Amino acid sequence: MLLRSSLWYTSAFLGSHTAFKSELVTQAITSYLIKTMHYQTEERGRPNSSDYRIYFKTSDGKYISPFHDIPLIANGDQENDVPSKKLKKNDNEVLYNMVVEVPRWSNAKMEIATKEPLNPIKQDMKKGKLRYVANVFPHKGYIWNYGALPQTWEDPNHTDKDTKCCGDNDPIDVCEIGTLVCSPGQVIQVKVLGVLAMIDEGETDWKLIAINADDPEAPSLNSIEDVRKSRSGHLEATVDWFKKYKVPDGKPENQFAFNGQFKDKDFAMEVIKSTHEHWRALVQKQTNGGEIDCKNVSVCESPFKFTGEDACNVVKLAPAGGEALPVPPEGMYQVTDLLDNETHFSHMIELTRNKKYIYSYYMCLYYVPFFNVTLISTIVCYSGQVAFPFQVILD
Amino acid sequence: MSFTVEERGNPNTLSYRLFFKNADGKYVSPFHDIPMYADESQNIFHVVVEVPRWTNAKMEIATKDPLNPIKQDVKKGNLRYVANVFPHKGYIWNYGAIPQTWEDPGHKDEDTDCCGDNDPIDVCEIGTKVCSRGEVIKVKVLGVLAMIDEGETDWKVIAINVEDPEAKDLNNIGDIQRLKPGYLEATVDWFRKYKVPDGKPENQFAFNGEFKDKEFAIETIKSTHGFWKALISQKTNSGGLNCKNTCVSAGDSPFCCSTDEAKAVIEGTTPCGTEDPIPCSVDKWFYYEKE
Repeated sequence: MLLRSSLWYTSAFLGSHTAFKSELVTQAITSYLIKTMHYQTEERGRPNSSDYRIYFKTSDGKYISPFHDIPLIANGDQENDVPSKKLKKNDNEVLYNMVVEVPRWSNAKMEIATKEPLNPIKQDMKKGKLRYVANVFPHKGYIWNYGALPQTWEDPNHTDKDTKCCGDNDPIDVCEIGTLVCSPGQVIQVKVLGVLAMIDEGETDWKLIAINADDPEAPSLNSIEDVRKSRSGHLEATVDWFKKYKVPDGKPENQFAFNGQFKDKDFAMEVIKSTHEHWRALVQKQTNGGEIDCKNVSVCESPFKFTGEDACNVVKLAPAGGEALPVPPEGMYQVTDLLDNETHFSHMIELTRNKKYIYSYYMCLYYVPFFNVTLISTIVCYSGQVAFPFQVILD
Repeated sequence: MSFTVEERGNPNTLSYRLFFKNADGKYVSPFHDIPMYADESQNIFHVVVEVPRWTNAKMEIATKDPLNPIKQDVKKGNLRYVANVFPHKGYIWNYGAIPQTWEDPGHKDEDTDCCGDNDPIDVCEIGTKVCSRGEVIKVKVLGVLAMIDEGETDWKVIAINVEDPEAKDLNNIGDIQRLKPGYLEATVDWFRKYKVPDGKPENQFAFNGEFKDKEFAIETIKSTHGFWKALISQKTNSGGLNCKNTCVSAGDSPFCCSTDEAKAVIEGTTPCGTEDPIPCSVDKWFYYEKE
């Protein structure tokens, strides 16, 4: 009897709150839609090798580009890329799709191959070697799940008004701070919380801060301030990480606009909108994309759109999947031959950074009796290296 | 002197065991049979690596089991994984123990004013290479931290693998401060906080959390070696500890373990099998305000 009366109360409650009921129905539809937008990956080549690729497919097996074919907005109207008013709970609940490239705590620099057809994920290479990001103490690999928002592009022909630098020619980057360690190629839905304006080797390189919508703490994280309060030290560590991560490879520290301050969610969404517009111009061939491969299967107004069969043929050319290669032993795979497991301390960073700049000149005169000449030698020393240019002066 | 390991059971489960064998293929106890010194004249010690850097599974020498294999610690019936306390990921050094040492719970240390934790002395090896579980390495001792973990003395020796490229430049605590700035502070921070996510209080330290130098460390190690010698020669009550060994005790000692007995111990364990996945909850990062 208790059950029956509670059911009665429930239906009476629902019946008298039609808005609530339609909200429930709406939420059910939303989660169904999001769940059905499930992507699969197909690995080709051998992991830890230069031929390794992760291709993307829809849940019904059609090959797609993670750069061009995955919608930017996860809970949006597919046609217009505008968050559908029916499906949004409120303005703060725009969810973006994020393509995960690098799992938290790993080192292999995996990225969307913007210049290859269907833009699979592959491991970046520098100077012929597979690239692994250094461990800069106290950090181990990447300190967030790292990836990109699809359908965005930082246009190298466009100078950003805040950073005064041109775009880095890539989709916009995301640092996802949730608990779950994702896998390369995983597509998740994220809430954007803020953005850092990094200038990496003179190019604009925005770093969005976001949280996986499925994370248990996602409901309570709605701003960069929330992150500061609940993730004490992580934002500072993020700036520190980006400042120093290339120094072990011999590059200088990176710079930031806004003094390295994080901008808020609204600013971040404007940046996303702007890079989304640059992308649209790119796939509609209104901008010169240079070597970027814009082939896609779903962007209606794109002259680069090609058929599912063409997409199939692209993947057919990739080497068959194989066993992972071991991560190479020390000295064989980084630009400066550094161990993947090696940890870099600030002392080493100081030495590396100043390598180009610390030098002293020693002028010495040597009289060589037999030849009756005086040699002037200039000894240039920097960080333990010694060079000897000699100039012979005849007496 | 080289050692190999034999895996039994399934990694990341309760059945997992790592047994040790010497170069002759004889089963040995990593607690009692591996010599403390790799080179006594140079003060080079052996370390049995229990936890590789950056991993979370709390593996340890099973002091109460015959032949003392390495196994995963269990708390309240669950496999124990150490929490990630931001900014750290798992353990921040290769972590292990010096064989033939023992922190006697019957002895109150005059510096920490606490009794020993009933285990071999712990080592944090700060070299570059990530060692594997059960690897037996040779180290130079650089210093020691006097931790008081849940009211028990728990020395943490700081050492460097002799094969590390920087080993020749690291000879004392001061060298670590110079070549690896921040590492010692991170070490204290790690030990202070690592049990807080499990609901325990922060740990304390003697000497205000300062590291004592190499000489002090070596004296401490020698003292725990003395306690172990008393244990293995039955001068101290072993309590629940298993002192069975194949190389140290004489044939008439109750601690002497014959080849057949050793074989029976191994055969009493589950054969080596596939690994279980590590639970996702182990990936959680815990955040605390910096002091």
